[in-house]
Amino acid sequence: MGVKKFIKTVTKFLKLGEFKDEGKKKSVKELLKKLNKRKRVIKKRLESDLEKKEKKELREEFEIVSVEIKNGKAILFKLYEKKK
Amino acid sequence: MLKKILLPTILLLLAYGFWISPNFKEIAAGVAIFLFGMLALEEGFRAFSGGVLEKVLQKSTDKLYKSIGFGFAATAIMQSSSLVSVLTISFLGAGLIGLTQGVGIILGANIGTTTGAWLMAGFGLKVNIAAYAMPMLVFGVILIFQKAKSLKGIGYVLAGLGFLFLGIHYMKEGFEAFKETVDISSFAVSGFKGLMIFIGVGLLATIVMQSSHATIVLILAALSVGQISYENALALTIGANIGTTVTAVIGSLSSNIDGKRLAGAHFIFNVLTAFVAVVIIHQIMYAVDVISDFFGIAPDNHTLKLAVFDSLFKVMGVLMFMPFVDKLVNFLNRTLKSKVSEDASGIESVRYLNDSVLELPSTSMIAIVNETKHLYENSVEIIAHGLNIKRSNIFSSMPLEDVLKENYSQDIVDIDAFYNKKIKGIYGKIIDFAARAQSNMSPSDIEVLYKIKLANRDLVEAVKDTKHLQKNLVKYTNSTNTHIQGEYEAIKMGLAELLRDINIVANSKAVDEKLLLLSKAKVHLEKYDIIANGTLDNLIRSALITNEMATSLMNDSTYAYDISSNLISMAQSMFSAVRFGDDGVHDEISLSEKDIRDILNKG
Repeated sequence: MGVKKFIKTVTKFLKLGEFKDEGKKKSVKELLKKLNKRKRVIKKRLESDLEKKEKKELREEFEIVSVEIKNGKAILFKLYEKKK
Repeated sequence: MLKKILLPTILLLLAYGFWISPNFKEIAAGVAIFLFGMLALEEGFRAFSGGVLEKVLQKSTDKLYKSIGFGFAATAIMQSSSLVSVLTISFLGAGLIGLTQGVGIILGANIGTTTGAWLMAGFGLKVNIAAYAMPMLVFGVILIFQKAKSLKGIGYVLAGLGFLFLGIHYMKEGFEAFKETVDISSFAVSGFKGLMIFIGVGLLATIVMQSSHATIVLILAALSVGQISYENALALTIGANIGTTVTAVIGSLSSNIDGKRLAGAHFIFNVLTAFVAVVIIHQIMYAVDVISDFFGIAPDNHTLKLAVFDSLFKVMGVLMFMPFVDKLVNFLNRTLKSKVSEDASGIESVRYLNDSVLELPSTSMIAIVNETKHLYENSVEIIAHGLNIKRSNIFSSMPLEDVLKENYSQDIVDIDAFYNKKIKGIYGKIIDFAARAQSNMSPSDIEVLYKIKLANRDLVEAVKDTKHLQKNLVKYTNSTNTHIQGEYEAIKMGLAELLRDINIVANSKAVDEKLLLLSKAKVHLEKYDIIANGTLDNLIRSALITNEMATSLMNDSTYAYDISSNLISMAQSMFSAVRFGDDGVHDEISLSEKDIRDILNKG
């Protein structure tokens, strides 16, 4: 058995490859937590009395964060699907 | 001249020595094998230095005592203070650590070298060390021939240790046989005169062998068979400690300013410690006796007592210097000044790229990243001045409307001159350096490096486009036609806002903030593109601007679009995520073209 094949077998046996996906899941979850918090803050500010220009800017930020959260959830979903 | 004479003289003297004494030949061969072992050991540890060492270093050098601990542990494990010095210079050059931490590592490495004396005195002289050397050499050499980098590294480490042990064995054997024919202990000189003579001998021996480690092992081998007296061995150890700095200073002559400063610190530390040791030699010897007695070391066990002396002498030096490290660093920064970063023609030079950082792929990468940030700072300066805005105002909390009101200069800034002075040379050197660094990098590192090179290209393109934009920007922001003036003011405002946001992205640690600002910039890029959103058509249709103005506006809005697009792309590569070792999460969450279109359609 070659060294490369041996390392591959050991990696598979010890499920070391899953570490990468687990790490990715962890960073997506952390980022989603922060983005959700930001979204809540923007939403709260949007409910208050603001100037038209500021409100427009906040609405735009709200849209962007919402899309980013949607993208993050899609990544998580893919990662969980991969595990199944 | 001296260099030319020195080597042949040493070779001739050695040849003469071999001719008259076979035992001397055995000792010299022992030293040669020992030094070769050190080289192999260094080579082996280099294979493992790409990653783990750097991570440990970054986490363990934020405080002086931690740097000293790191220096000690690294030297004790690798048994080579010179490798630790080379790596420290490399880390310094890449901006990974500061000079204070570097000095801390060197102080720790000094104590780390004492472990060699302990190994030799406690283990090497008591057992048949050659018996361990043989299997190590066999396994080591087999592994060296393997293709895998890690196996090769282990092979070099094993072979290195094998050669070290074999060298010690030959030195020991040589001195034992030597004792039967010549008694060099009769040359022992006592008193202060002896102290100074043997300090000189230790110093010279270390300069010739380029290793204090080898000198101390040699001293221990000679001491174990009674060929030198204990007092003279102590003096030789002090001499070896000074000698090692001479080799470090010579080595630093070809190194960068960081290497020179570090060698300066090493020199001052070792020479002053040696001076203090000479002054209080009797007190130190008394302390060695007390410590040896405490640990149950027999009074006539001079080899172990020498190891105690070596440790005590170096620990004493470190304790003595610790409170003054900051002062020493200030002194070195004042005395050894870096060359002005501009040459005679005023062309700015690179800050982080030098050959010392090429030692490790990770330090090369960090140096390239830092240099790209340097190029980014220069580019931002030129773009801001090209827009006739003060850079400090952009980065302040001043409302953008007010930022635009305050001009940088009454005259048009010569962007070509700025480009030649602050961009061209640095960019060329980054590309050249990246090509050299790439040869030692892994495929994943090369991929990251490719992105950094693209970021550099983006910056250069942004500066070049600013030059094209500048002429009409000056002309039309002063126009009497309020429509064209408004459009150019809007271009200026958009770019100023982008520069401000990218600066926040570059300095913020909040990942979600970085992500939001860059996504916002991407949305604005499309939203305010006057060709796409129909503004230009409206102006032309309503005859609010002349044909000449329309052509200029069309071209210039394209330049502004390209500048923004290049800056966003650069920021995404350089600042948006923890680029090194990140898992691509940020790129995936970031808005796609479709997402941007959807947001714009909603708006």
